[in-house]
Amino acid sequence: MHTNYSLELIQINKIYGSGATEVRAVDSVDLQVNPGEIVLIMGPSGSGKTTLLSIAGLLLRPTSGTIHVNGISTSILNENELARIRLESIGFVFQAYNLIASLTARENIQLVMNMAGARDHKAQERSQELLALLGLEERANHLPADLSGGQKQRVAIARALANDAQLILADEPTGNLDSKTGYEVMELLCCGLDREKGRSIVIVTHDHRLTDIADRVLWLEDGQLQENAVGMM
Amino acid sequence: MAKLAWRNLTQQPLRFAISAGGVALAVVLILAMSGVFAGSEEHAVLYMRNQPAELWGMQAGVSNLHMSSSILSEETVQQIQQFPGVEQAIGVLYASAGVDVGETEIYSYVIGIDPNAPYGGPWSLVEGNGSPGLNEIAIDRDLAYRYGLTLGDTVSILGYPLTITGLSEGTFGIATNVVFVNKTAMALLMDVSPQSASYVLIEPKTDTNVNSLENALNSTIRDANIMSRANFIGSDQEMIRQMGADILQMMNVIAYIIGLLIIGITVYTATLERAREFGVLKAIGANTRQLVSTVFIQSYLIAGIGFSAGIGLAYLVSILVARLSPEILILIEPRQWLSQLPVLVIVTGVASLLPVQRIRSIDPLIVFKA
Repeated sequence: MHTNYSLELIQINKIYGSGATEVRAVDSVDLQVNPGEIVLIMGPSGSGKTTLLSIAGLLLRPTSGTIHVNGISTSILNENELARIRLESIGFVFQAYNLIASLTARENIQLVMNMAGARDHKAQERSQELLALLGLEERANHLPADLSGGQKQRVAIARALANDAQLILADEPTGNLDSKTGYEVMELLCCGLDREKGRSIVIVTHDHRLTDIADRVLWLEDGQLQENAVGMM
Repeated sequence: MAKLAWRNLTQQPLRFAISAGGVALAVVLILAMSGVFAGSEEHAVLYMRNQPAELWGMQAGVSNLHMSSSILSEETVQQIQQFPGVEQAIGVLYASAGVDVGETEIYSYVIGIDPNAPYGGPWSLVEGNGSPGLNEIAIDRDLAYRYGLTLGDTVSILGYPLTITGLSEGTFGIATNVVFVNKTAMALLMDVSPQSASYVLIEPKTDTNVNSLENALNSTIRDANIMSRANFIGSDQEMIRQMGADILQMMNVIAYIIGLLIIGITVYTATLERAREFGVLKAIGANTRQLVSTVFIQSYLIAGIGFSAGIGLAYLVSILVARLSPEILILIEPRQWLSQLPVLVIVTGVASLLPVQRIRSIDPLIVFKA
């Protein structure tokens, strides 16, 4: 079944354990993210935010429910098919940046394009373009260890955008950054880059200031997702 | 993924060097051992290779020079010498015995030659006379150097003193030391007729077909076995090969186990250290084939670089050994290391299995851990 949403979660449940030890980490969650929409998911620690993001990112299979990414139902796909969707349709931005330590900033960006089958010269052109957009041209040939936190997160964003993913999933993207740098980085991601391409962004965060750049803010508590979270924060 | 594999290895240059060096040492061990055996094989047949005889006659039932006892009667030797198509047939006596140099006994192949014969003696003479008289002997130059001997010095065989009158070269190896004595003197020692021979070195007439002559001799002279030089050499090499095959095989197995462990441990450690990064690659969309290929590329890089370095080192070792100990010939030929390639490919593949298994079990959710 095809839908027009960038991401659609239908009645997602994730249950760990059974019987007396059963924990319902995600409880009957429905979520639709429109193309170009920026959705912020907030909630207390242990509320299931990361579990929900893992499910949305096809890294964790739900106990029940259906996930559509760019209209494609993922329920019956095998691991390699899910990996292909993650590679081509989803970009990830993590709190810990998760760059490959042995590769330079440019190579980290090119890697995902090469993984998707892009030829070297195409990958070089695209990485150059992204590095310029993110103000990292001069740091292109530096290893992650030689970059500041903000620069690392910008490289991670460039990597997430490299394959023109229509859905970006960000887990506490400002968690390791000072407030000023964090806000600048998120502005770049949400407002500065390719917004005309209709890219959707789902951000899981504790950072209240990011509500300014979100189209919609949701609240997750005890595994349940609620709209209109402003009053709950 | 090849670049990533290369960087994963070279980020720890010392560990990479140790790993490739370990593989190289295993390869050196394999090639040096097989080279020593190949060198021994070659040394052992140098006498046959360097005589002009295209056919070799020996006692019926005998097909080797080394580790053999052969005697042809005076009549049989004459029969061969007078056979149609034979230009010359030189009889030599042959026995293995200890050459006493002071307190030291050196196990040697003693060849008794007729001083007037045109061949049968040392093929390369460095100093003195290669046709020993009754109480004379020609020994190898390197043997003489090792024991401080020179022309005019005395050694003995079975208590009979012999004066060194000639120094040859290419006749001293770890498994074979060839010395030349007078055939008549040797016949007395062996209690046989001076006209008899252990082996007859046959030179056919130029217009004679060698194969036909070999067949004719074999069918006519029942007491003798006539072999072409190539077959005689091949027969001796095969015997020596069989003697060393078990040891060589065992050394190869040990070396390959060392190589397997080195490659396996290195790649497994590199994989463990980068478990999080492999988790990240999984999370951002790397498929199983791409992840597994990274491991295999790392393994084959270590093995390939170690193997290449090992070949170079083995050649270097063979040159150094030849200079320091001329009697040890380490013969390394491309066929030796080429024949190791398929085994190395398999060993490297096996060594990669554990890291591959580890990678497959890495949970991509590791990316969410701070």
